[in-house]
Amino acid sequence: MTTQEVRLCGLLLREHFGDVVEKVGTHLLRNGAQNLRTIIHETGISLDLVKKSLCVLVQHGTCVFSSGRKGPGSPMEYRTGCDRILRILRYPRYIYTAKTLYGDTGELIIEELLQRGEMTMSTTVKTVADRLTQNMEEGRSMDYSEVSSAFSKLVETHFLQRCPPQAGAGATPAAPATADTPGTPATPVSTTQLTPERFPDCYKVPHVTLIGRGKRQLSSEDGEDQRNAKRAKMDSETHGDEGIYWQVNFERFHLHFRDQAIIAAVANKLDQTSSEIVRTMLRMSEVTTSPTATCTKPLSANEIFRSLPASYNIPRPILDQYLTLLVDDPMEFVGKAGESGGGMYVVNLHRALANLARATLESVVQERFGSRSARIFRLLLRKRHLEQKQVEDFAMIPAKEAKDMLYTLLSQNLVQLQEVPKTPDYAPSRTFYLYTVNQLPTARMLLQNCYKTVANLIERRLFETKESKRLLEKSQRIEAILASLQASGAEPEQLTEVEEMITAPEKQQLDALRLHINKLDSAENQVDETIFLIESYVNSTATSS
Amino acid sequence: MAEVKVKKEANLSDPAEVESRIRDLCQQFPHGITDQVIQNDMPHLEPQQRALAINKLLSLGQLDLLRNSSGLLYRMKDTQSTSKVKGSDNQEKLVYQIIEDAGNKGIWSRDIRFKSNLPLTEINKILKNLESKKLIKAVKSVAASKKKVYMLYNLQPDRSVTGGAWYSDQDFESEFVEVLNQQCFKFLQSKAEAARDSKQSPMVQRNSSFATSHEVWKYICELGISKVDLSMDDIETILNTLIYDGKVEMTVIAAKEGTVGSVDGQMKLYRGVNPVIQPTGLVRTPCGLCPVIPDTLATILKGV
Repeated sequence: MTTQEVRLCGLLLREHFGDVVEKVGTHLLRNGAQNLRTIIHETGISLDLVKKSLCVLVQHGTCVFSSGRKGPGSPMEYRTGCDRILRILRYPRYIYTAKTLYGDTGELIIEELLQRGEMTMSTTVKTVADRLTQNMEEGRSMDYSEVSSAFSKLVETHFLQRCPPQAGAGATPAAPATADTPGTPATPVSTTQLTPERFPDCYKVPHVTLIGRGKRQLSSEDGEDQRNAKRAKMDSETHGDEGIYWQVNFERFHLHFRDQAIIAAVANKLDQTSSEIVRTMLRMSEVTTSPTATCTKPLSANEIFRSLPASYNIPRPILDQYLTLLVDDPMEFVGKAGESGGGMYVVNLHRALANLARATLESVVQERFGSRSARIFRLLLRKRHLEQKQVEDFAMIPAKEAKDMLYTLLSQNLVQLQEVPKTPDYAPSRTFYLYTVNQLPTARMLLQNCYKTVANLIERRLFETKESKRLLEKSQRIEAILASLQASGAEPEQLTEVEEMITAPEKQQLDALRLHINKLDSAENQVDETIFLIESYVNSTATSS
Repeated sequence: MAEVKVKKEANLSDPAEVESRIRDLCQQFPHGITDQVIQNDMPHLEPQQRALAINKLLSLGQLDLLRNSSGLLYRMKDTQSTSKVKGSDNQEKLVYQIIEDAGNKGIWSRDIRFKSNLPLTEINKILKNLESKKLIKAVKSVAASKKKVYMLYNLQPDRSVTGGAWYSDQDFESEFVEVLNQQCFKFLQSKAEAARDSKQSPMVQRNSSFATSHEVWKYICELGISKVDLSMDDIETILNTLIYDGKVEMTVIAAKEGTVGSVDGQMKLYRGVNPVIQPTGLVRTPCGLCPVIPDTLATILKGV
């Protein structure tokens, strides 16, 4: 929980949930597990507000509670983790992926679940059907069964999972905070982190009786709709799936992103056909490979040949040649595991991630310091330890410039110095000084830089919005007036009169503002891609070591 | 011959005779004679006289004094080099000899001082003298630019001193290296593209996109952009820098001895490659390229 992470989490919480939740959240992040009394005392917020903030955090899976340090009878302690909050940054990417895979229905299902944290299937289906019906033409509406089938498909491919039920042992009276929210009963839970996958019904779709169609909302209450998105919609009907709450399975999305990154890298390095082969291999091992595996299960060339998409009719010998080329490639995306079945091939996941992380590091050095420094950096990555003179010779850079570049990289901590003494007293004239690059610590440092960057981008965006707050409010008022005038049927002159209330320079300013904010938003997404790559690499080394 | 010997023995005390006798012996044994040989030849010669004669010959510059594992050797000196140093005194001859021994690597003035045990001022005077007589020359070493090594005038400096093909007059020729770099890369890239466009089976495509280091060397020689002759090793160092740029990859294959360009039964093959990822997301933001980003941490800690 570094400073940068805490700062970024604070900004994300404030943007999505408001100031109070941010205060409580950052307090918990900084101080570890605490009980309700301590939180109230240290943050100075009233009991009511603290309770509500904790509800929000628990609803979204950010906060877990467990019995206190002194044993089962002591007050509940609440704990938050950084990584769950940092996922908020990636919500647009999840929604976009769902859209590409499952169309608009899938997109809206994921969006609703991300906004609410966890919901029952029936509520989700109804809300999504209503929203889809909003956007359809007059007279048409969305059937619940379509939405349900999309929902089931998402569950089948493991993109959605059930929330782990809390163990229902004896309830204690000292947990009033969670009584309001549905789905999190006030019972103590063992301190071990219950992953959703430990439950056998994790991916089982319940039998739900949902018959009907989406309802169109009659009056245009866009503003209210936005505000109501976060409140639970109270529904009086029951559909047979009470108590079964669903949440988005982030790990599955991450595996999908990782596969996409590997396929894109193969396409860049080799060619389209090779990337299709790798895509087929990865698709075949989607459900059989565990998330932390070093490589996929071995697939025989016969199976791969059979599973290739029909549009790619490659003859069998050509496929074998492509596979051999993939195995021979220095990047080692694919490895050969045996000879049975025409050759058993695996995709080396961890190695691919390490190569992608290395390419990211090299790209950062190249953009920040120039291509000659990048040459030195790559040289050190390859040759591990080198003396100053050797660096100059191998990289063919004049001595003065090479020295300068090495010292710059050293001061930015991208390159480390290793001292190898000739004598026990470490005299400088009798010691070898070797330059080296350690990939893992450098990657971690870069990750912190990424967090700092995203936090800066968010702050800049908030600053720009605050600067032009007056202008934005004015434009919103005018839009509201225009909309009401149009709805009540006004003449064109009145409309133009209202439009002219915004002067031309103001309009320009508004456009510029919109452009800036869009750019900052997209920059956040781009940095998030880097964050994802480096985080996956760091996690993969953590599990394998 | 017995009379001659007797005659010689009779005139043993004549130093000139001794010297000429020693000189004859040297000519008889061009590889050098030891003290033992001289003693055997003139057994009645006292060591003192022998030493005198040898010293005279040494000072005249007609004998060379060498040392081998068993003792001292005396060797006939070339008349040519003898004439060269005629007119110089002993010290100069000594210094000249030391420099000559250093071959084409040259020797530093401090090392001359150690070997000859002469004071520094004397050494400098002698060196200036010899330089003006055009017998030796000073070559600046590329490793340490202040150091000057001395070697005989007509010798070519060794590669380690001048830096080889990449240095001209002690300056590293970076533009030359850059030009070579780009030319090699273009050659490999065009080969790879030609292979890709040929639309053959992937194995053939990949193999035809490879170029051996010998092919690249020939191409560069034919281009004629280099004033100096480049060897295959030089080209390989250039290709290695391309590997460190991430633009080229290399494989080593076993080749039959005798195929063109193979070294010790192996051949190095190079081909142009595409980068694995596009420039990463972080560097598309200003913060990713910011030079002061480590310093901003302090302000954040104070402000927030």
